[in-house]
Amino acid sequence: MNEDNTALTEREEIEMLLPWYVGGNLDATDHDRVERYLAQHPEVRRQLELIREEQHQTILANEALPTPSAGALERLMASLPGRRPGLLARLRASEGYRNIAALFGPSAPRAIRYAAYAAVGLLLVQSLAITALLVKDNGAGYQTAAGKDGGEGLFFLVAFTDTASTADLTRLLQDFDARIIDGPKPGGIFQVKVRVSDPSPAAAEALQRRLAARRDVVRLALPAKE
Amino acid sequence: MHEKAHDAELMARIAAQDQAALRGLYARHCARVFRFLLRLVRQEAIAEELTNEVFLEVWRKAGSFEGKASTATWLLAIAHHRAVSALRRRKEESWDEAEAANIADAKDGPEVELQKIDKAAILRRCLEQLSPEHREVIDLVYYHEMSIGAVSSIVGIPQSTVKTRMFYARKRMSELLKAAGVDRGWP
Repeated sequence: MNEDNTALTEREEIEMLLPWYVGGNLDATDHDRVERYLAQHPEVRRQLELIREEQHQTILANEALPTPSAGALERLMASLPGRRPGLLARLRASEGYRNIAALFGPSAPRAIRYAAYAAVGLLLVQSLAITALLVKDNGAGYQTAAGKDGGEGLFFLVAFTDTASTADLTRLLQDFDARIIDGPKPGGIFQVKVRVSDPSPAAAEALQRRLAARRDVVRLALPAKE
Repeated sequence: MHEKAHDAELMARIAAQDQAALRGLYARHCARVFRFLLRLVRQEAIAEELTNEVFLEVWRKAGSFEGKASTATWLLAIAHHRAVSALRRRKEESWDEAEAANIADAKDGPEVELQKIDKAAILRRCLEQLSPEHREVIDLVYYHEMSIGAVSSIVGIPQSTVKTRMFYARKRMSELLKAAGVDRGWP
């Protein structure tokens, strides 16, 4: 790879700045320089869409990742000298606290953080709907979305569209013989288990594509581990 | 309280060996640090171990934190060095871009055909195929929203190299997309 930028054209220099221009992270001088160039060369604006697309998919790929396990913080604290944590400290170290902190705190990127605030109402509604689905599914027994489900199956991380209704979620789960077994995780992502007779990688990929194809309900579908 | 001021207060308390402050900083930044590491080392257990090493280093060196860069930048800079060391020790995934690119190319096959119907899935797959260096700069800019100067501090390269590395990472992604049947008309 050539990382020597001594022989760059003006266009290449501007193109190099565009990811930060789109992210709003350029200093004033470079920002004005990009604006001037874009005004003179409107065809370069098409690149902004490509960058937004890349950014969107990068955010989704990262948000689908887990957070550290529940015991990680305690292991860290145990490695410090003179440890004697109190109850409040242990509560603060809980997974639920960290998930909320990850969603709203500075560790969440701006795009997701703002979206998280905007999506809180929707998530509450969808969480209630999902809980209702689980109650219905389990008869008299009550199981929260965070409960674990036994049996064989394939696992996916799924984010639902803003417009998905309870009826849409019910239909999707019935169509796929699926259950929501965990969530919501940061970014409004749920872990879904799909019962299958063929758990091969090829079948899993085909299933993922079928899930992703339900764009009216599914915003994101990625393979996941149990 | 402003986030930066809150982090600064936590860092000052950590420098005074306040364990509750370390818990607070961990709660605020563990997801960012863990995900950054996981994308590089690709194994949760290793990423978790390295995350703890990052915060342990914060515990030991908080007194030397001058606050010139943001706390997040400092944490990711420590994480970067830990990941590079771990990858070099492990040698399962080379930090060398040429080798990593070869590994990525070797994965091309039936999966590409299967995913052709979904451009977004192809794009995410291409992101995974980038070399660790390219994946890192893409994540830092797009997900962690780091400025050119912050990426320079984290990775330890000149700002001019940050810009060219991001440029070539995007270019490589376009090449991978094209090979997967998606021609974006750039570069």
